[in-house]
Amino acid sequence: MQNRKFLAIVSLLVFALVLSASCALAAEKVLKIGVLFPLTGPCATAGQRCVAAVETAAEVINNKHPELDVPLAKQEGILKGTKIQLVVADTQGKPDVAKSEAERLVNQEGVYTIIGSYNSSASKPASAVTERSKKIFMCGCSSSAALTDRGFNYFFRLAPTDKTESHEFVEYIGWLNKNQKAGIKTIGLIYENTEFGKHAADEGKAAAKAAGFEVVVDVPFNPGATNLNSEVQTLKAKNPDAVFGACLGGDYTLWVRTMKQMNWLPKVALNYCTGYQDPKIAQQLAADGNFFMGGTGYSPEIGAKYMKKVAAVEKIYTKKVGVPFDSDSIQEAVALFILAQAIEKAGTLDVEKVADVLRTTTFDSPLSLGGKVAFGPGGQNMKATSIITQLHDGKYMPVYPTSYAEIKATVPMTPWDKR
Amino acid sequence: MSTFVQVMLDGLLAGMLYALVAAGLSLIWGVMDVINFAHGEFLMVAMYLSYWLGFLAHVDPIVSWVASGAFVFILGALTYRFIVSRCIGKAAMAPLLATFGLSMFLKNFCLNRFSPNFRILQTTVLEGKKIILGDIVIGLPQLVTGLFSLAILFALYFLMKKTRLGWAIQATAMDREAAELMGINTDRIYLLVFGLGGACVGIAGGLLTSYLAVHPEVGALFGLIAFLIVAMGGFGSIPGALAAAILIGLVEALAGFYIAPVFKYVAVFAMYLAVIMIRPKGLFGW
Repeated sequence: MQNRKFLAIVSLLVFALVLSASCALAAEKVLKIGVLFPLTGPCATAGQRCVAAVETAAEVINNKHPELDVPLAKQEGILKGTKIQLVVADTQGKPDVAKSEAERLVNQEGVYTIIGSYNSSASKPASAVTERSKKIFMCGCSSSAALTDRGFNYFFRLAPTDKTESHEFVEYIGWLNKNQKAGIKTIGLIYENTEFGKHAADEGKAAAKAAGFEVVVDVPFNPGATNLNSEVQTLKAKNPDAVFGACLGGDYTLWVRTMKQMNWLPKVALNYCTGYQDPKIAQQLAADGNFFMGGTGYSPEIGAKYMKKVAAVEKIYTKKVGVPFDSDSIQEAVALFILAQAIEKAGTLDVEKVADVLRTTTFDSPLSLGGKVAFGPGGQNMKATSIITQLHDGKYMPVYPTSYAEIKATVPMTPWDKR
Repeated sequence: MSTFVQVMLDGLLAGMLYALVAAGLSLIWGVMDVINFAHGEFLMVAMYLSYWLGFLAHVDPIVSWVASGAFVFILGALTYRFIVSRCIGKAAMAPLLATFGLSMFLKNFCLNRFSPNFRILQTTVLEGKKIILGDIVIGLPQLVTGLFSLAILFALYFLMKKTRLGWAIQATAMDREAAELMGINTDRIYLLVFGLGGACVGIAGGLLTSYLAVHPEVGALFGLIAFLIVAMGGFGSIPGALAAAILIGLVEALAGFYIAPVFKYVAVFAMYLAVIMIRPKGLFGW
């Protein structure tokens, strides 16, 4: 009899405990954030890394991480306990899918914000959906300058644009001509025939012409081609001194290897945010990838010297994907950190107030090169910085601006048969 | 002049590779009147097998093409036995939709298992080797792949024209019921044809790994071009597939260089439309 009473009391206690726990869970405040990237298709590698970067930021924000020296790491959640819940969706790298998925995230999932979408061509329609719905779109790494020329009120982009990089490229070529007697007079462009590639090429051509260089060849190609023989043959026939490249993922490896097959190299090859920045591709290309250059916002080498607080956060990220942050993925983590800081500063989830904070505040951002983020007209991060690196045995070595330079760049690139 | 020769050579070598990829599809389509939508994914699977053999066991693609061919032969035979054979005689679209499902499965399986990363085999026997004749450069991996393709196509042609098995395949393609009345086990012929089709694309995939990066999307455009070649060359015709593939390779290279690189697929598809309008059964169709 006594046993039965004891059992009944214990059961009641357990029931009460479960009930209170479930009430506590139900009371936990959650903020849904849409995470829209290409998870399948030709850009899936980059897209999956971008998602992992946002997840890393969410993990840091949602839980106490006293060991990390980044904003919001030492508290749990934002607005006194609101946790961030990510709703992940796939664009497949296609603008139409990006638009319909953005509509689903906004209308059905009821997300507060969307972070995305890697491909400029996908970010463009997806952010049009959020703009119409008066929701914030945080864009980490889509680089088409046109995105921030639309006059949108709720669009904020972290990465430098192709325009910024193009000017940096021609400035660097001028510096090479002056200081390393590179003798670069002509420029060629090879780019995928997409929103990203076309805008990058337009900016590249404009910057080159403005700086007095002759653009001798302009080679767009269809992404995912079976070969790039005619493309490289066209470059080879015109033999430009420098080439600006905007080739993503597999196309970048195909471009590099086709140049090797055709035994041709320009003096300098400068790449926009492309396959060049992917550490896995650099590793796969091994020595073939050496001496190519490009704009870089982050690499472990740069981080070790100029962004020391990244390393501890990077450990969480590396556990998820097996590689360190790259220039693109780190911007997506920054996107969530900045949004969370803006909400925290606004003290409310009111979109207008949060957007206002985003427009008017200079944020601390240890994960950004330069350490600050401040948005200007159109939502472009005015503090966005990238430096030019040259790949040496899988390491991205800073070569320009001179204040960052670690090595003297190998110019002209070492010919294939002398490697 | 040397540029013209170089462009022609590039086109010729690309065409020879396309021919091997398309030959298997041509065989399946021609004999069974079944469209194997997973053909491009068979190529991708073969490339992954060759890559992993090279990466883990240091087997060079110059050798591992045998394993890739054999593996995709088995994959093709299993596809027939467990998927296609259940669709034959049902709605006309059934085999097409079933193989489309298989293609999605294979692509997403590889995406899930091997990640979307681009994988390149370094330090292969042919890696970086080339023949230089004045201004003309011929990559040895491309040349060897092209020559292999030709050899295998000739072997396939010989099999079809000079062996009892080939005659049985042709008889089955012409009239399945009559072939059965003559004592041919048409079900086994179908199984073999699907396997042989798989083996051709498997060998192509095995060799391709020596110079092309492997990733889950790699088969997509190859698959599309293979469909074009089969329709243009004539269903079931090996010489037709070879002629159409070389024509496509040359048009792609010449249009890409002399008109604009971005125009190369426009030219290829325009040529396809022209051929189909003039000769709907394809160049060598019967």
